[in-house]
Amino acid sequence: MHLIRFFLLLLCFTSINAFAEKGKPSGLLSRLQQLGTNFAQNEQELLPPDQAFKLTIKVRNANTLVAEFEPTKNYYLYKDKIAFKPQSTGILIEKILLPQGKMKNDLTFGQTEVYYKPFQAVISLKREASATNQLTLAATYQGCNEPIGVCYAPIDKVIKLTLPVAKAAVGFVAETVSNDATAATAFINTKPDPAAELFYPSDRPFSVETESKRIDRMFKGGDFWLILTSFFGIGLLLSFTPCVFPMFPILSGIIANRGQHITKTHGFILALAYVLGMSLTYSAAGVAAGLSGAMLSAVLQNAWVLGGFALVFVTLAFSMFGFYELQLPSSLQNKLSEEAGHLQGGHLTSVFGMGALSALIVGPCVAAPLAGALLYISQTRDVILGGSALFIMALGMGVPLLLLGASAGALLPKVGPWMESVKRFFGVLLLGVAIWLISPVLSAAVHMLMWAALLIVSAIYLHAVDPLPAGASGFRKLFKGLGVIALLFGVALLAGVLSGSRDILQPLSKINISSINEEDANRVNTDEIEHLVFQRVNSLAELNKRIVRSQNKYVMLDFYADWCISCKEMERFTFTDARVKSSLKDVVLLQADVTANTLDDAALLMHFKLFGPPGILFFDRHGREIHDARVIGYQNKEDFLAILDAVLI
Amino acid sequence: MGMAVLAATAGFLLQGKLTSSDPEPMPIDVPVTNKGAKIILAATLPDLQGKNQSISQWIGKVLVVNFWATWCEPCRREIPEFIELQDKFRDQGLLFIGIALDQKIKVIRYSKEIGINYPVLLGGIEAMTLAKAVGNRHAVLPFTVIFDRDGKITSTHLGRIARDKLELMLKPLL
Repeated sequence: MHLIRFFLLLLCFTSINAFAEKGKPSGLLSRLQQLGTNFAQNEQELLPPDQAFKLTIKVRNANTLVAEFEPTKNYYLYKDKIAFKPQSTGILIEKILLPQGKMKNDLTFGQTEVYYKPFQAVISLKREASATNQLTLAATYQGCNEPIGVCYAPIDKVIKLTLPVAKAAVGFVAETVSNDATAATAFINTKPDPAAELFYPSDRPFSVETESKRIDRMFKGGDFWLILTSFFGIGLLLSFTPCVFPMFPILSGIIANRGQHITKTHGFILALAYVLGMSLTYSAAGVAAGLSGAMLSAVLQNAWVLGGFALVFVTLAFSMFGFYELQLPSSLQNKLSEEAGHLQGGHLTSVFGMGALSALIVGPCVAAPLAGALLYISQTRDVILGGSALFIMALGMGVPLLLLGASAGALLPKVGPWMESVKRFFGVLLLGVAIWLISPVLSAAVHMLMWAALLIVSAIYLHAVDPLPAGASGFRKLFKGLGVIALLFGVALLAGVLSGSRDILQPLSKINISSINEEDANRVNTDEIEHLVFQRVNSLAELNKRIVRSQNKYVMLDFYADWCISCKEMERFTFTDARVKSSLKDVVLLQADVTANTLDDAALLMHFKLFGPPGILFFDRHGREIHDARVIGYQNKEDFLAILDAVLI
Repeated sequence: MGMAVLAATAGFLLQGKLTSSDPEPMPIDVPVTNKGAKIILAATLPDLQGKNQSISQWIGKVLVVNFWATWCEPCRREIPEFIELQDKFRDQGLLFIGIALDQKIKVIRYSKEIGINYPVLLGGIEAMTLAKAVGNRHAVLPFTVIFDRDGKITSTHLGRIARDKLELMLKPLL
């Protein structure tokens, strides 16, 4: 009950805040900008174009130029108006690489890409044998000043450069675009030119978009409703992941527990209460996490908390088996039924509470969008947008649950003896969920044993080993079949554990049935998973030391924790791929294990603005972080390989 | 249930606040020079049909000379407002003159598209010089110069002017 009141208050606060600043209906971004420029309002002077958009061109090597643009604060350049034209014979422009800019809403042309901050354009040259070392380059660009609302005419600059001696020109097939190479659109998900080996502290021209970056960008540039809609879509998609699946049995369990009085509406309302509890918790947690910048996930995933939740689920499960009935005391029920009005009894709030609690546990699959949202909140303090986006996402995740709730009432037929079986089935599922919840803190052997026990006992209840009576119904036979499967599974797990296997998906791998001959002995056991070897770093100082020692090599830093399921998945499915391993051959692999969450661990995470694992960071040959290449969340081997290809030039 | 309603209402209120619309323009007022006034009024530029027009023919009206281009986004935002004002005060002697520093074909296409109801002249380098002469040192757009009926400059602005502000400036002159 208090939970509801608290959330109500929170909502009121935020809406009041919204009104307090009511005035001109201007966009949030521009208002923030105006805030900045208000100080300089009376001092406003338009800068000459050279000062407003500083351009310097440097020669990187014999075939590469770097054009450094530095738009002053409040000025911006149009990406598609940047052009370079060589004016010396024999030198052609092969390719121009421009980084991602910010999207600006143009009245006529819609979304236009512009640059507000300094950036670099990488120009690849093709030099013919006849060319000299002198290059005259004509650069054209166009920009505007935002607060005053003026645009400069296209600016032309001619720059004379001296290039180093060209390498012997091999007769390669020219991929020259044309003499007047205009800015190519930034590459997304393709390999950057090898010449684009440039890394700068801010706004590097990095071309592969990782999920977290994409979401980051969306927050900074987009429309409020567009963001919300996308997050709803994300939530909906996430509902089809293993994270939300545990919720189905729970919810169904609750509904089934209610027995005969389920109407369609009631079922839906229960589901709605659950989803809303979940959604509000997500947004509140997101807001809180952002504001405090703390590592939320670790706190909520320690053994005691998980154990507590698992116990709750076990309790529910046992009520399903009929050992006892779970109900609120009648006095409370009456009070709540008065408050709830036409709704039946107090189970609504407990369902709401359940939803709220469950949300705090199912973190792993939503890692990437969650990290993006949390990062955004902490950086911009835009509590409203971040909180709303998370709220909507959780709603999206709950849509199937709502459908289930709405239909479960209708699907569940009236009372019959088979309902007991259904209840028991849900009970088993709940136990399964309890095991799943507590698995991160259990050893693999105990985990497997628990599953084995659950499967075997369930199999017995399904009459797996009872003889079929004559004239048994089809269902009876089906259930017996399923029971046998479960029995075999359970037995396999049991046998597997006892034979030394610790792999829940391959329990019998340790048992070699085939006869071993010379060839087999030489052949590597395919079940043996060769893990990548990581070097441990325990603090920021140690990390820096290692990076300094790894000059001229790429460094990959992996944040890991025992409770981080995505990390384990990566280890299992992605890091074991042969291609990934070969790509990482010359990369220095470092790992930060933050399970213990010591001060050093927290400092490490905070330094990189991470909330917790998973997180994989890359450092270039000079030891600087390739910010755009961060991987947050599980990536399958194909996606990860693509990222590696782009990073490790 | 009430939670959902409250959340929806909150969202609605927030939406009104956060949807981005036009940012408030903040033009620079350039100090007035009358030397420049003579230069502008004496200028002759071709219109969209290719015929030369001299600005002096319109002395006697309240003139709003607006330097613009299709590639200038703030210009494109203010022109529809000019069109409205032109219609409103045409009978009282207001005339907008658009000097486009742009390619002819683009200007023709754009002015047809949004229905510019005042004369549009094509400028080039000379138009830049014109603008610079009146205080637009870096030749930025949009740049607006307002003349009274006697051919004197009353104000010049660098940047987009809000419609209400412009109306306020024009009313005493008409």
